[in-house]
Amino acid sequence: MAIIERETEVMVPVTVTPTSTYGVLKRPVSATGWRAWVFTVDHKKLGLMYGATAMFFFIVGGVEALLIRLQLAAPNGKVLNADLYNQMFTMHATTMVFLFVMPMAAGLANYFIPLQIGARDVAFPRINALGFWLLLFGGIFINLSWFLGGAADGGWFMYAPNSGPVFSPTNGIDFWAFGLQIAGIASLTGAINLIVTVLNMRAPGMTLMKMPIFTWMMTVVQFLLLFAVPVITVALFLLSFQRNFGARFFDVAAGADPLLWQHLFWIFGHPEVYILVLPAFGIVSEVLPVFSRKPLFGYPFVVFSGAAIGFVGWGVWAHHMFASGLGPVSVAVFSLTTMAIAVPTGVKIINWTLTMWGGKLYFSTAMKFSIGLIVLFTVGGLSGVTHSVAPSDTQQTDTYYIVAHFHYVLFGGAVLGFFSGFYYWWPKMFGKMLNEKLGGWNFWLMVIGMNLTFGPMHILGLQGQPRRMYQWTEARAGEGFFNLAFWNLIASIGSFVLAVGILLFLINVVITARNPTKSPLDPWNSRSLEWMTSNPPKEHNFDVIPTVHHLDEFFHRKYEEDSATHTMRQIATAEEIMAEQERNADKHIHMPSPSYWPIVLAGAVPIITFGMIFSHLIAVIGGVILLFAAFGWALEPSTAPESDFENNSSQGTALDKVGH
Amino acid sequence: MNHSQRHSNLKTRVASVLLVTSKKYQKIFGVAMATMFAAGCAQNAPQDTWQPKGPNAKIIDDLQQPVFAVAGIIGLIVAVAIIYVVFKYKDRGQAIPEQTHGKPALEITLTIIPALILAVVAVFTFGAIFKLAKTDDTEMIINVTGQQWWWEYDYPAQNEFGINQPIISSGQLVMPVGTKVLLRETSRDVIHSYWIPALNGKRDAVPGRVQTLRLEADAPGLFAGQCTEFCGLSHANMRMEAIALSKADFAKWVANQQAAYVAPAKDSLAQQGEAVFLNQCVRCHQVNGLLRADGTPAIAAPDENVWSGAAPNLTHLMSRNTFAGATFDLLSKQCRDEVWNAPSDEIGAKYLAGVTEDCLNQKDLRAWLRNAPAMKPMYANPTQLTATGGKYRGMPYLALSEDDISKLVAYLLTLK
Amino acid sequence: MTDAVVHGHESSTGISNVKLGMWAFLGSECLLFGGLISTYMLYRGRVTGGPRPAQIFDIPFTSVSSFVLLMSSLTMVLAVSAAHKNEDRKTNLWLTVTALLGATFVGGQVYEFTAFYNEGLGFSTSLFGSSFYTLTGFHGVHVTVGIIMLMALVGIFKRSEVPGKKAEVVEMIGLYWHFVDIIWIIIFTLVYLIPV
Repeated sequence: MAIIERETEVMVPVTVTPTSTYGVLKRPVSATGWRAWVFTVDHKKLGLMYGATAMFFFIVGGVEALLIRLQLAAPNGKVLNADLYNQMFTMHATTMVFLFVMPMAAGLANYFIPLQIGARDVAFPRINALGFWLLLFGGIFINLSWFLGGAADGGWFMYAPNSGPVFSPTNGIDFWAFGLQIAGIASLTGAINLIVTVLNMRAPGMTLMKMPIFTWMMTVVQFLLLFAVPVITVALFLLSFQRNFGARFFDVAAGADPLLWQHLFWIFGHPEVYILVLPAFGIVSEVLPVFSRKPLFGYPFVVFSGAAIGFVGWGVWAHHMFASGLGPVSVAVFSLTTMAIAVPTGVKIINWTLTMWGGKLYFSTAMKFSIGLIVLFTVGGLSGVTHSVAPSDTQQTDTYYIVAHFHYVLFGGAVLGFFSGFYYWWPKMFGKMLNEKLGGWNFWLMVIGMNLTFGPMHILGLQGQPRRMYQWTEARAGEGFFNLAFWNLIASIGSFVLAVGILLFLINVVITARNPTKSPLDPWNSRSLEWMTSNPPKEHNFDVIPTVHHLDEFFHRKYEEDSATHTMRQIATAEEIMAEQERNADKHIHMPSPSYWPIVLAGAVPIITFGMIFSHLIAVIGGVILLFAAFGWALEPSTAPESDFENNSSQGTALDKVGH
Repeated sequence: MNHSQRHSNLKTRVASVLLVTSKKYQKIFGVAMATMFAAGCAQNAPQDTWQPKGPNAKIIDDLQQPVFAVAGIIGLIVAVAIIYVVFKYKDRGQAIPEQTHGKPALEITLTIIPALILAVVAVFTFGAIFKLAKTDDTEMIINVTGQQWWWEYDYPAQNEFGINQPIISSGQLVMPVGTKVLLRETSRDVIHSYWIPALNGKRDAVPGRVQTLRLEADAPGLFAGQCTEFCGLSHANMRMEAIALSKADFAKWVANQQAAYVAPAKDSLAQQGEAVFLNQCVRCHQVNGLLRADGTPAIAAPDENVWSGAAPNLTHLMSRNTFAGATFDLLSKQCRDEVWNAPSDEIGAKYLAGVTEDCLNQKDLRAWLRNAPAMKPMYANPTQLTATGGKYRGMPYLALSEDDISKLVAYLLTLK
Repeated sequence: MTDAVVHGHESSTGISNVKLGMWAFLGSECLLFGGLISTYMLYRGRVTGGPRPAQIFDIPFTSVSSFVLLMSSLTMVLAVSAAHKNEDRKTNLWLTVTALLGATFVGGQVYEFTAFYNEGLGFSTSLFGSSFYTLTGFHGVHVTVGIIMLMALVGIFKRSEVPGKKAEVVEMIGLYWHFVDIIWIIIFTLVYLIPV
């Protein structure tokens, strides 16, 4: 549906058929059925598609994790052989980092940033669609390698020269490098899109310091992506050129320095850590105030600490290389910067705690996940501090202690944050509330499972079990009841508890989908703009673009402070605010029109990379499709002009349009 | 509760929580945490990072213990604070609370405190980093070369230790106690990492670079280690063992390593084994002093057959307790335990006894000779060798008869 | 399409979406070229076989083609100025000239690559070879993409189907073009002028 005409209170969508042909194909028009999704440029639909894709890969990565834990449950595991195990841990990390956490964050950002800043879409809706399809195709491309000779087996960090053609003769790493390259373009376009959206399309009155904190954290993430992605792009090109075109970049015989890859990878890789975890910080910073019935404590501190993390995050990469032989001066410097980054992270923990202090806490499932995040992320943060102490890190690095650390950070941080967001925003996205009782089980099983799985890994690592070993032996497991065999078994049991917890979430989703009960308009008594519209939001998000006067604008439209008693008094309900908006709705709203080109263009890219690996002829075919799609794209205006429609009933001028 | 009351209340609470960090509490706390941790841990785990057996590992340990204690305390403070908040402020039907937006003074204080703690940690960290990087007090040098998936130890001539000609060994790093040993590490293929947790942290062995790692053991003993940089297929099977011997025992070990080749007795099974060895093994494996039937020295050419260019030198194989990258024991379980569990002052003698026929782990050694890649994944399948131009990346399947295997075992037993 | 947001009048920053997006993209490109240039600087002296840089570089030739590329920035400026004045024919003319100058530069690069290859510097010859061709090749691809965009712009103008305000789009492409030129000045200085 490209144009929404509003006559009175009632929405009357006009059926429209474009008549002009741009370039090659007519514009798609379906507002329902699969076409409405495949050709959509709507940020909400794309957000949901990102989310569904991420969830799918979360399950794939989770199954890989379970296989790893099955293999390691007992000494000399026989579930996987060495080759398959190496592929499994490589792909588990790759999938979780690039195909679950990043797309999930991208999905939530896509869905909620325009809603939170009072915009009707993102700045470049078609590029947004392109980004999603590239991500999906890139993810599928990487995983194709499982069926075409074996997946990548060099670890997600893919250190040279072990990633070279001699040491990894299958095509796995080729698929990996090209697939990540494709996903990288997706991240880059997404970053540019969201940066422009946030900087340019905020509702009137919404200064940067009145922006919801989730949008803030996500903006920091987009800047990190903007500058980090090109670095991994370079690294991946060097790797692909070496593997596929005979370049010598990591060939030690030609005088290459293997540390070049490490520097490039971690210059990307450390900002990447914050790319993974800051979205969750944003979610928690939204959820805690809502369920504490208080504003976020020290909003400017949270904003600036987030920005500071984003900044200092560029200066800590070599702490992944303390054992690489950088020399004592570099090690000392990076040790110091790594300690420094703990400070703004600590600020966040303190602010979250003080947000709850003196509040009126309501323990919804979303709130439980957020509180869980504070505690578990703190554990991960503190273990992070222990290996900012470089000499200590030379004992811990590449052991299970590190595995424990980053799972507390990423599972305890990113994943719990996402689940908090799911429970909090589900009614917004689907108009129905997830079952809270099942949510409680979901939460506790996940938290218990995660601690059982990753908690023992601290002990395993400190007692000397290295990572990335397809088997461990009793000879190195020590004695006593609590030997390493015991803790390995506990970790494996824990992983299945965790899996059951996540399964409960999926069950909850199905139950909720089948439950006809609609959610209230403002189920949590929320504070930010995304709740100032229907559930799920209309295609054009807001009937009236709100004018913003406060941080937590929606809350301030509902409540007023009694200046004498400092107590809050309700002045309007969400329903009243909504009705008021509908009465004053904009008469004429133009939304960007669906397009074939994003999916066609995105589809051409994996064909090209597939051709690079197997046959250059296929690459040429892909290239032709790419040019054809780019041509069609360039000639098609993003928003169909009114002259394009048969029953053109335009009146007045466009009040708001998005994009280009 | 009015504004100022709430404020001061908050202040005292925070202050009381911070009190826990005062020294006395810290000590009690540290001990409690350590006990809790120790109770949940394996005993005598060979690669335990909290059991330093030498001054370098001790420097690290002295640094990490207080850091762990402080981190533990801070973690506990946060956990207690959260639990307190959760119970104290849960929804009891109170009115919507005052919309406090923050208290900058409090925030700045709570930012500065962790920064100060970290500054103190940083000072001690710097000291340790530079202490561990010293190389000018080195007393002995051992060159360590990583290769998929074993380590070569090469002792350059050092007369003060009786090493008159270079010793090339593998499987176990033998070093004298109380001596500042400097490992000069490199690699022939991919990045590996050398790690004997009881003696020091890790240092990567990077191809094209030489990097150093200090090792020193306080007392005679055996110390386990493991390659910790992922190095491909058999990364899990790339192990190390370091043996520290008293200076007298070390001198004996050096003397034995430099002893001349003793050809097997005429007409013995071992002599037939020597023929098999010359026919098959010598393509890659060097035995110093071994002569061909025509009297010329047998020189191995691993560079023509192995991609990374080397294969373990087997000259004094039976003086080591392990083979195949320390993955398998040359000693039977019982004999191995006798060496490993020996008191510190007896370890040297037991180790120097080497592997006798009674103590030989026949089962694993024979299985290895029968089909090495079946025991340790090594890219021995010819279809996986196209990128290497047909060169192997580990010991291949040799299709030896059981007879030949028996002969070879007999021969190898003579390589004392 | 006369879109307020595209114009920038109603955007929060006052800069249009397309221009702001291009700025962001170019920020990202800085890191891309930063990585490639670092790789080249690390590896330029590492020659285990084949010619060394000083043996094959033809500074006068490359100086001329660099000058041609610099001139194209000037014609790009003229195109933007003509677009702001709504002088369609002039805009088209200067865009075409810019594209032609760019194409001359790319042609020079193709000639140079061929000459180097004949003198024994292949992509696989040495680390210098791999990193030289990768860095300058990436830049060449950027110029080529720029030429395609310029030609597409001319073509679209002829069909009068400009998405958004014409000057705004010309300016956006101009930003890209100037960026690619500046990057070349850096590459030319570091690769050709500073001896190993």
